[in-house]
Amino acid sequence: MDNSCIEVAHLTKTFGNFQAVRDISFSVKTGEIVGLLGPNGAGKTTTIFMLLGLIRPTSGNIKIFGLDYQRNAEQILQQLNYSSTYVEMAPRLKVIENLRIMARLYQVKDAEEKIAMYSRKFELGEFLDKRHDTLSQGQKTRVYLAKAFLNSPKLLLLDEPTASLDPDVAELVRKEIINARKQGMTILLTSHNMAEVEVMCDRVLFINQGMIVAEDTPEQLAKKVRQIRVNLMMKDGQKRTIQFAEKSGFPMVTNGRFLTISVDEQDIAFLLAGLAELGVSYSEISVDKPTLEDYFIKMTHTKGTV
Amino acid sequence: MNANRIVAIIIKSWYNSKRDIFRIFDIFWWPAFELFIWGLFSIFISKTSSSGINIISILLGAVILWTFFDRASRDMSIALIDEMWNKNFINLFSTPLTVTEYLVGVTIVSTIKLIISIVFMFFLANVLYGFQITSLGFYLIPSAIGLTIFGWTLSLVVQAFIIRFGHTVEVFIWAVAVLFQPLSCVFYPLSILPQWARTMAMFLPSTYLFENMRRYMSGGLVNWMEILISFGLNALYLILAMVFFYRSFEKAKQTGTIIRNY
Repeated sequence: MDNSCIEVAHLTKTFGNFQAVRDISFSVKTGEIVGLLGPNGAGKTTTIFMLLGLIRPTSGNIKIFGLDYQRNAEQILQQLNYSSTYVEMAPRLKVIENLRIMARLYQVKDAEEKIAMYSRKFELGEFLDKRHDTLSQGQKTRVYLAKAFLNSPKLLLLDEPTASLDPDVAELVRKEIINARKQGMTILLTSHNMAEVEVMCDRVLFINQGMIVAEDTPEQLAKKVRQIRVNLMMKDGQKRTIQFAEKSGFPMVTNGRFLTISVDEQDIAFLLAGLAELGVSYSEISVDKPTLEDYFIKMTHTKGTV
Repeated sequence: MNANRIVAIIIKSWYNSKRDIFRIFDIFWWPAFELFIWGLFSIFISKTSSSGINIISILLGAVILWTFFDRASRDMSIALIDEMWNKNFINLFSTPLTVTEYLVGVTIVSTIKLIISIVFMFFLANVLYGFQITSLGFYLIPSAIGLTIFGWTLSLVVQAFIIRFGHTVEVFIWAVAVLFQPLSCVFYPLSILPQWARTMAMFLPSTYLFENMRRYMSGGLVNWMEILISFGLNALYLILAMVFFYRSFEKAKQTGTIIRNY
């Protein structure tokens, strides 16, 4: 049985002469958390807005829950929700009023109970009776997230879900997202917090200049960056070590007695053998494996090729 | 169409209005302002004129009917730009809410506000100038309906332009009724206009309604054929405006202006 929640085929969006999204195809399985990553202007938000039906694709096809978007928009949107740090709720309305309006728009049964539940989960209690325009950005983000869960959506689209949140609240939100997945919710999210994506996402779609340039698990994408950082706290032979690294063509950063040498995975044995041969001594050594952030930086700086 | 979602728009508007003193002010201030200006002007004219026609009643009747048209042309558009100014547009339309449900919701809200304004105006006109609602008689019903529908039609056109072209065309919300005022013959008969303007005026549903208001208030007669023409034009323009609005909304989704501006 096909359990795709989102199926996107050859999606293209052109604004005048500018191609914001170029022939992208992907699918997201039910119950998956997929990260949509890429630099600013890569086409992530345009893709999300097409999934929400707020922008019409120039060409291509979107199916959500197996339904064609054009013909079943209302039915799809009823089972979907969206949260973004960059859109607002009615500013003069109290938080509770905004949530009640949203619950009514989604025809949520037991709206008051749901509002109470998500208010507790996202810790909205203290400002439920405050006007939306008096909230801090972090508080607003929590309200948007409560709104996003109100209709118990099958599919959740989250644009920067933890932006402007305090670390403890961000952690709470991440837990809630992972919990939601356990209950079968499918989540497509964008984030600039790579550590968060590594923790939460089953899969990552890396989009750059409107194209999907990579698609894999966060671990596998990180592995594509072959550079490893070796951190040394030198005891003796710092000069020799620097000369050796320069001679071998390894990029290096020094900070007092600390040295960080970047090497390809395959060269690590060569580096360590070389240091042993030089007779240098160090009091600490650590190796940083490549992260998704390294991959992101590499992809962004090399225009899509690692 | 889902009644629950329409009610959501109505409740939202109620919450919004009750916390915005300027919105409440708007319901009462402009009708009162117009009534003062035209009431005093009509008293002055009636004192200097010996025509025997009840100038005060006719001008006040015109101001009151004009308010139907003026408010109907503005309130829906203001609701729309309110959502845009507040960046709430994406939030609303990423829900199952359809454009039609949204329009029905704001139309109901606009009608409630209009009724409050008009009741207030009748009250004020009665207190200040002894104007009786009965002087408009049964003619109040077709004229009020016709002018309100024409106001909504123009509002739909303005909203379509705003959705399509963004904030730069917002000025038309306040200007559109005034632009149509000279040709609608609100305060003077059609015969006063030069021929070219008269020809143009005859394409406006409002012209027939104001003409017949004067006719009714002067002698109790109404030319029903003209009222029929007015309603026919109204129906035609309303359909065209709706088509234009829906096409603009769709176009804004294609060009992305719907998310760029709001």
